[in-house]
Amino acid sequence: MRRLRLTPRRVAVVLAATVGIGAGVAYAATLTVGSWHLWAGSQTLTKGTCTLTGTTQTSDTYVTQATPGGTNGSATTMLVRSNSGSVDWSFVSFNLSSCSLPTTGGADTATLTLFITTAPASNRTLSLTPVLTTWSPTTLTWTAAQSLTYGSSATTSFTTGTTNNVSRSATLTVDVDALIKNPSASFGWRINDTTGSGNATTTFATSENVNAGRRPQLVINYEK
Amino acid sequence: MKHLTKALGLGLAAAATFAACAAAATLTIGSTTLSAGNASVTACTSSLSATRNVDNSGNVTQVNVAGIPTACSGETLSVTLVGSGNAALGSGSGTVGSCGTTCSVTITSFGATVSASNVTGYSFGLTGA
Repeated sequence: MRRLRLTPRRVAVVLAATVGIGAGVAYAATLTVGSWHLWAGSQTLTKGTCTLTGTTQTSDTYVTQATPGGTNGSATTMLVRSNSGSVDWSFVSFNLSSCSLPTTGGADTATLTLFITTAPASNRTLSLTPVLTTWSPTTLTWTAAQSLTYGSSATTSFTTGTTNNVSRSATLTVDVDALIKNPSASFGWRINDTTGSGNATTTFATSENVNAGRRPQLVINYEK
Repeated sequence: MKHLTKALGLGLAAAATFAACAAAATLTIGSTTLSAGNASVTACTSSLSATRNVDNSGNVTQVNVAGIPTACSGETLSVTLVGSGNAALGSGSGTVGSCGTTCSVTITSFGATVSASNVTGYSFGLTGA
């Protein structure tokens, strides 16, 4: 076997190679440390409930095709009817400002409750469609309602049943969530009969109704 | 032979020295990741907040994180929807794009259907080069 002779040159080569390998590892590790950004944080939400009802927080009215220039802003009831030539639409909106919700908040759930004082003779399906332009209960007429802008589709619908003096609820979470984020677009909903043919009228209590428990009510479970 | 043994021993000692340096650097990586205030790791923001949208059933459809500093551009933002008892209800992530004054990220997938009623907060994580 041939003996490996140790010369100064061989020692230097071994040392240089060792130093090179070790330094390479250390350099790569240092690069990794210096190149990363790291951050972690959290945000806690506050939950609450806001109930809107009554004349100071609600605007409502109805318009009738048979009287296209008439207004009904002070009526204690409002009508929804599907009958060719004499259709009735109701409108309801709520002022969310009293809930003091920031635009960064949102609705977890939002439920509209309406009280039917006089039910139709046959069960009807009524739809709630968001109104996208401003209206006033004191001036809204059938003619003016034709010029309002509405959502492309109804948010939800509910059935009336045929029993008088009952409450009906509808979920409007997606719309109310959007209204919290953009309060200036709070123009409420149109309620119309989407059953189809037939002549049936549903009568609801309005915010002017003497019986406070029968007035339209919007309950918002919110986060902020 | 004695000289060769000495040379190899010297070489091994040198290698061990540099290996120790590398190991220390590796340790630094691991410990810096888990500890705050290490000068070697920096953060591109000090706080974030989110808003979320829901569908009509009250389920979260998207989480929006706005006001992200431009220094975070290119980094990965992870958001966890947190419920009662700090339970993770769902999570998603997105990349902070290039942007003007501030950046925003919208996350639309959380791996599960999450009811907004159950969300009590958000956890955020930002990582990137």
